Amino acid sequence: MKFSYCRHRHSSPDPKAPALEIKGLIAGYPGEDRPALNGVNLSVPVGASLALVGANGAGKSTLFKVISGLLPAQAGTVRIFGHHLGACHQQVVYLPQRSEIDWHFPMSVLELVLTGRYVYLGWFTRPQKKDSDIALESMAQLGIADLGLKQIGKLSGGQQQRVLIARALAQNADLLLLDEPLNAVDARTRDTVERVLEGIKAAGKTVLVATHHYCGQEEGRYDGAIYLKDGEQIK
Amino acid sequence: MNFITEPFQYAFIQRAVLAAVITGVLCACLGTFVVLRRMSVVGHALTHSALPGMVAAYLLGGSIFIGAAAATMITAFGIGFLSKDDKVYEDTSVGMVPTVMFALGVLLISAGKSYRDLSAMLFGNILGITSGDLKLIALITGATLLMLAFFYKELKLLCIDPDYAKAIGIPLHMLRYGLLLFLALTVVVGIQSVGTVLTNALLVVPAATARLLTDRLGTVMLLAGVFAVLSVLAGVFVSYYFSLSSGAAIVLACALIFVCVWLARAAKVKFY
Repeated sequence: MKFSYCRHRHSSPDPKAPALEIKGLIAGYPGEDRPALNGVNLSVPVGASLALVGANGAGKSTLFKVISGLLPAQAGTVRIFGHHLGACHQQVVYLPQRSEIDWHFPMSVLELVLTGRYVYLGWFTRPQKKDSDIALESMAQLGIADLGLKQIGKLSGGQQQRVLIARALAQNADLLLLDEPLNAVDARTRDTVERVLEGIKAAGKTVLVATHHYCGQEEGRYDGAIYLKDGEQIK
Repeated sequence: MNFITEPFQYAFIQRAVLAAVITGVLCACLGTFVVLRRMSVVGHALTHSALPGMVAAYLLGGSIFIGAAAATMITAFGIGFLSKDDKVYEDTSVGMVPTVMFALGVLLISAGKSYRDLSAMLFGNILGITSGDLKLIALITGATLLMLAFFYKELKLLCIDPDYAKAIGIPLHMLRYGLLLFLALTVVVGIQSVGTVLTNALLVVPAATARLLTDRLGTVMLLAGVFAVLSVLAGVFVSYYFSLSSGAAIVLACALIFVCVWLARAAKVKFY
């Protein structure tokens, strides 16, 4: 018997609906007069790979936080695979920036990657062998299979990024929101992450990648780009 | 050897030792999450807020435990409630509510003109534990350990990445309030041993000491339990043999272990 974290039953994706549909979204942080996002409209088809481009403070992370249910919308609608927010916890994964994790917590790499399986386990159920196998497979894709027992506090910046991406893969979501996955990483990590992103795209999953750097080689990697400036969509 | 066994001929010492072990285990397990979730200041606030409930219960002839539990829970939920207001920062409510509660306690003491048991309330008296107290301590400990076992993986995620926990649908408010509720109950248990003023040390210092020695959560809890039980037992014996404050002795034993471990670790880092 499973006790899901969500009060609603997890909904299966509507095959006819876009992966993400946003209309007239306004969102902001408590105590701030000006909204961090103002009038964003988007329709992202299933399987698309888009760059979300903007400078620091443009609203990229805020948009991801709204889509993943961390920040409530003040106005407008957000639908994921045809369902309202909160009905598709398993299908959406948000890769936060590394600074948002407490890397000093006493936990091994494998344990952290396994948290990507929690959404399927719910309350009172511990990860099973099947979950460990999925976590280990995700780690292998990122080239960190040998780090399973290493404490997360002893990882380099590039390794931390790969661990977070491995957790996102372990969740096996259909919509991935990746916040600056290539920011401040070494060349080896960059190559590995780029290869994994290609694999995600080839698997038919929908990917939104927040980046402040979008030119030359970057443009060929995505199907298109959405531009944000000061919380407003400019293209 | 007689030095250790002799006190056990008395029933109140047997109760004190049993209470010491249970309290040590409880404070270590919950204290590990308090330390790792950076809630030490909240623990400090809750310990100070128990006073008015204890004094009111004493003046009304009720159970001091229940009075303390009510006061700490009111404080825990008061802090949580006020922190929801954007204009009241969380550290402001943590600093404000317990101070007001402590002032209320002092006011009640002065109004009741009863200073007799003030020392025991503020600094604890583990040798004064009754059978009824012991049952309540065991009950609270059992409930808290069950809660930690049931929600272990969610509490870990709450500590390391609360945003991800929220994104996958874990009700963070419920988990936070649950943790505060059991923290409040643990404070009530600790009050009998070390008093309102010093309980936070029993929650925080053994876990902080254990964290110096290991990077594994389970081992942190285990070592914290060993350090806490040793400290509380040291307090029992010091209190018995030297008629000193048990609460102060327990906290100083915790601190002594912390200093020894910290120095040993610093020496290891320097020479290896």
